[in-house]
Amino acid sequence: MTWAEDATQLAVDRFGLEVCEHEGPEVGADQLVAFARALKDELDFCFFVYVVSVHYPQVPPVEADAEAGTEAIPGIRDRTVVNYRARRLANADRPTETFAFRTTVPTGESCPSVSSVWVGADWQEREQFDLVGTVFSDHPDLRRIMMPEDWPGHPLRRDYAIDTSHFPWR
Amino acid sequence: MNKIESTPGNFILNEDVQWTTVGGVKVPVELITPAWPDPFLDVEDYDPDGDLMVLNMGPQHPSTHGVLRVKLVLDGEVCIKCVPYLGYLHRGVEKLCEKLSYVQITPIVDKNDYVSPMTNELAINMAFEALIGAEVPRRARYIRTICAEIQRVGSHLLWLGTFGLDMGGAIGGGGSIFMHTFRERELLLDLFEDLTGCRFHYNTHTVGGNRHDIPAGWADKATQVLRVIGTRLVEYEDFVRDNHVFRARTVGVGIIDPQLAIELGISGPVLRASGVDVDLRRDQPYAAYDEIDVAVPTETGGDCFARYLVRVAEMRESIRIATELLTGVPEGPICSLKPVKLPGAVKAKHGRGVYTAIESPRGELGTFVVGNPERRQSAIPYRCKIRSPSMHALQLLPYLCPGNNISDIIVTLGSLDPIMGEVDR
Repeated sequence: MTWAEDATQLAVDRFGLEVCEHEGPEVGADQLVAFARALKDELDFCFFVYVVSVHYPQVPPVEADAEAGTEAIPGIRDRTVVNYRARRLANADRPTETFAFRTTVPTGESCPSVSSVWVGADWQEREQFDLVGTVFSDHPDLRRIMMPEDWPGHPLRRDYAIDTSHFPWR
Repeated sequence: MNKIESTPGNFILNEDVQWTTVGGVKVPVELITPAWPDPFLDVEDYDPDGDLMVLNMGPQHPSTHGVLRVKLVLDGEVCIKCVPYLGYLHRGVEKLCEKLSYVQITPIVDKNDYVSPMTNELAINMAFEALIGAEVPRRARYIRTICAEIQRVGSHLLWLGTFGLDMGGAIGGGGSIFMHTFRERELLLDLFEDLTGCRFHYNTHTVGGNRHDIPAGWADKATQVLRVIGTRLVEYEDFVRDNHVFRARTVGVGIIDPQLAIELGISGPVLRASGVDVDLRRDQPYAAYDEIDVAVPTETGGDCFARYLVRVAEMRESIRIATELLTGVPEGPICSLKPVKLPGAVKAKHGRGVYTAIESPRGELGTFVVGNPERRQSAIPYRCKIRSPSMHALQLLPYLCPGNNISDIIVTLGSLDPIMGEVDR
């Protein structure tokens, strides 16, 4: 068994999560810190790799059309998907491996911070807050890190186009 | 001071070290510290009388290796709190990646880590290849590996020169070692110029392989240059390693706790100098590293001197790997895709995210790419995140600086080898 299979088993058995092949399990915001801590303390996924927020804009709902024969498709809210990844370093028996998990945060809500689990998440979460606008609750020092403090908006959101009225220089 | 024996290919390990297991890996016991300094220390609480000085080091400071600003709270000359400020070199590379196509991004990421552009290109193109599902021919993988290893030597040479400057002219009077290492780095830049036509920003990797094949006679010239640098490395070691001033400034300065370093996500020579035997070239082989043995030099000191020893041993190892690979470059195509004439020609099908990582001269350089989920085929990534090892290394500063005086902070910062272009992106 590999480290990632161990982690998948933990996610399925203890936390009851569904596992997607490439992006790992989708963890609810209420379980996120507990899951991260179990991953680190029990399976030794100590090496922190990244946290990446990806913004997906709102998808408007499609109404049913009886003439064309199409069904109604529910809309999806404006949201960010926060991807995490941690690495289990190699030991004598097994090679190193990373394990990814993610959580979906609707815009306007906050995501729990994992910087109490991995110290290295501190600046990474600040960067994602700065560039994508995900708010991490319980973060010890949530400030902008890349952009100036009075910068309007969050540049890596999909609705922040380069050719809008935001001045691209300061 | 012990006289240290170091011969090529035989790196130094202190036999008397006691080991313990942290996070599933072996680390030296004596480097584990019971408590880390508090990076969010309340200065008012520490000294209500306000007899402290706040000093802004940077952003325009010769020893901060670029535009890093560090706010130091000083009690006399001893730092009690350190707050780094980034973003002075933020160019929005990740936003640009959302606007450019897969083949257009390579020359942009060249400018991220401007000391080792080859590894940047390799890192991002590996992620794109994983997303698109493109194979890389064996010859291209060899060329990539040789370039990456030569680049590692060049990057560490530049580090050694600027590290000498950080010590305030401690080595050989001012810029001597700087001038020497830059002379050797020039030879490597000439090699890359022969291969790609450019000296700094190569744009030679592309999705599915390389753009430039090895020209006639290049392998011999490269072998010769690497041999010259190998002999010069011995001279540097004589020059620097047993230099009394160099020892006084580096031994026991800036000791890094491996447990903290692992949690912070620090990798590369900084982690290996703290006794953690980790190297992605060996543990998770990419390119042509699965066809060659990679010896991983580690040290148990954890201080600036150990980081110097690790980097010099790595240069030797890189020279050996590159020389060995140069003798056996296989024949064949160098790119699996047809030459691209239009920027939108290479398309990814999926909207999933992939992560690939390589061992850059500074550590784990990874790329997380998400293909466009809104369209079935798209030539433009939806989100592209570059995981830069320098940014993780800089997170150490609030933990390392308290308790040290300013001159030691500058040496410690230099030994982490941060490249601000990569930190801010």
